[in-house]
Amino acid sequence: MDSATIVTLVTIVVSAFTILFGTMVPALVEGKAVLKALDGMIRQPEVADQLRATLLIAMALLESTAIYVLLICLVLIFANPLALSLF
Amino acid sequence: MDEVELMEGLFPEVLFEVLGVPVRDTVVSTWFMILVIAWVVYVLGRRKPEALEMLVGFVKDIVSGVMGRPVEPYLSLLGSLTIFIAVANAFGAVPVFISPTRDINTPAALALVVFFSVHYFGIRERGLGYLKSLANPLETISQLSRTLSLTLRLFGNVISTELITAVVVSLVPLIAPLLFIAFSMFTGVLQAYIFTVLAAVYIDAAVASHEISPPSAA
Repeated sequence: MDSATIVTLVTIVVSAFTILFGTMVPALVEGKAVLKALDGMIRQPEVADQLRATLLIAMALLESTAIYVLLICLVLIFANPLALSLF
Repeated sequence: MDEVELMEGLFPEVLFEVLGVPVRDTVVSTWFMILVIAWVVYVLGRRKPEALEMLVGFVKDIVSGVMGRPVEPYLSLLGSLTIFIAVANAFGAVPVFISPTRDINTPAALALVVFFSVHYFGIRERGLGYLKSLANPLETISQLSRTLSLTLRLFGNVISTELITAVVVSLVPLIAPLLFIAFSMFTGVLQAYIFTVLAAVYIDAAVASHEISPPSAA
């Protein structure tokens, strides 16, 4: 196997593992955030709107780390200068 | 559908050149979007001005919930950001048009606008002493990382939904893309809201003065 094939192989495997862990962790943490926010809404329904706004902002910020991982994986697969073209 | 065509549609392409400067298809889409927004605002201003007032009131509510101060000096910038990003993200749902935010340069430009306006408002409100707060290297790094995260968040959301929609279209062309297009419009408006709220938070942090308020008599 020449070096370009090895690089392509490693790229595929690494990007698969990257996207696996990179989306699992933010999803778990966002779930915890939603649980806590819902607990707060149950306890105090009058601040539910503020809780919802804070929750939405926090979820977007947490989601952005998953987006960074996705971007790296997209670059690895589609715009990788070192590997053989996969198409 | 051939995968190469699918992926080629995602990268921006140069349409023509103006005085030696290449003009991309996303730039032409931005011009068209400006015309559409101007036309809609003109027509709404004639027929139903209450709709425009509602829109401005809506943006004002969003922003004043985040900033603990009067919002008027910053409302023009933040409202423009909201409307631009929301319409730009929703533009991709219409068949022939493309979202300007699909190219990384548009979100980068918007994030740079926020970056420079944060410092501009900070200097305008607090004078040149505002620059002393940047002497801390951690502060400088956080400023740069904020700009980068604004860019990547907006760009990443738009490009990922477009990619997934493209893959779904190549698999099941008939009804399934409608769901993804609807979801992409929702995330587009949500990302506009998030961008505006974060810009408001950054401006608020820059403008806030760190005076300790004297204890008020009860």
